[in-house]
Amino acid sequence: MEIEVREMNDNFARFVLSDASPELANSLRRVLASELPKMAIHNVEFHLGPIMGEDGKEFESVTPLFDEMIAHRLGLVPLPTYLDEFNFRSECSCKGEGCPSCTVMYSLNKKGPCTVYSGDLEPLGSDKFRVRDEFIPIVKLGPNQAILVYATAELGRGREHAKFQAVQAPGYSYYPAITFNYDKFDASRFDVSCCPVRILEKKGGKIDVTDIEKCTLCQACADSAPKGAIAVTGDETKFVFRFETDGSLSAASALSKAADILEKMSEELAKKVSSL
Amino acid sequence: MIIPVRCFTCGKVIGSSYEIFLKRTAMGETAKEVLDSMGINRYCCRRMIISHADLIDEVLPFH
Repeated sequence: MEIEVREMNDNFARFVLSDASPELANSLRRVLASELPKMAIHNVEFHLGPIMGEDGKEFESVTPLFDEMIAHRLGLVPLPTYLDEFNFRSECSCKGEGCPSCTVMYSLNKKGPCTVYSGDLEPLGSDKFRVRDEFIPIVKLGPNQAILVYATAELGRGREHAKFQAVQAPGYSYYPAITFNYDKFDASRFDVSCCPVRILEKKGGKIDVTDIEKCTLCQACADSAPKGAIAVTGDETKFVFRFETDGSLSAASALSKAADILEKMSEELAKKVSSL
Repeated sequence: MIIPVRCFTCGKVIGSSYEIFLKRTAMGETAKEVLDSMGINRYCCRRMIISHADLIDEVLPFH
């Protein structure tokens, strides 16, 4: 298996996976989607009853949304994740009680009228846990309304809940190849605009492919040429792979962690099979 | 009610883009230009923003 990176930034990755098989590419996709750990708010405590303002003004702990809806929205906010510093809460040395090496606490204290944003979540402890995407609206507050919340974040995996899914829309396609048989059609009379991604160009009586990795294997060019003139095929050992992250992990660290997990899982399987 | 935090289908965070989208379309840009420049490429994420009915201000006075 070999990886040739085409694009790799904070929340997007595109690379060519070669010397692989569809099974391998799919297992990598599944690990990215459902096995990769990620931090998310999992426990939310609401303060009920009156909330005092700084000037002694009294606010009601009432919001236009139900508390469970706010808790759900808080859960979906992507939190910066430091995978090598945290354990799963159930596997931690504190035996699931919650300690600084398995949980991060946040507080949210806002008085209306205003919009509560994800950036209003204050991490208790280090500032590196501050939410990076700070303009996600959580709820709107009217006059005399206030919200006071303590939230606990912990590690989880995508298979548990979508909020623990660090990678969005992981996917791959066969590496495309387009072959032209110039004996069967006249390239100068061929309409290159039939390609929906516009990668075909006429060049000196032949047809040139500008960026083969953009090809979606849609066969539109093959359909608009005489039968057998153009063949669009996919290479089953080479893949164009792409995925996005929600910002909790960088694309590069998500990919390397996923490769580690895949390796560990395969080793475990091999061990179990050999003991049968 | 209020813009969802994530796209229902793929899970991309779209909540933070909604207010920018409203501002820029009000300034005269088309929805297509705004969504393309913000990197909201899939139609699942685009419909989250285009088809959203923001009703939270209507229910705000009644709690």
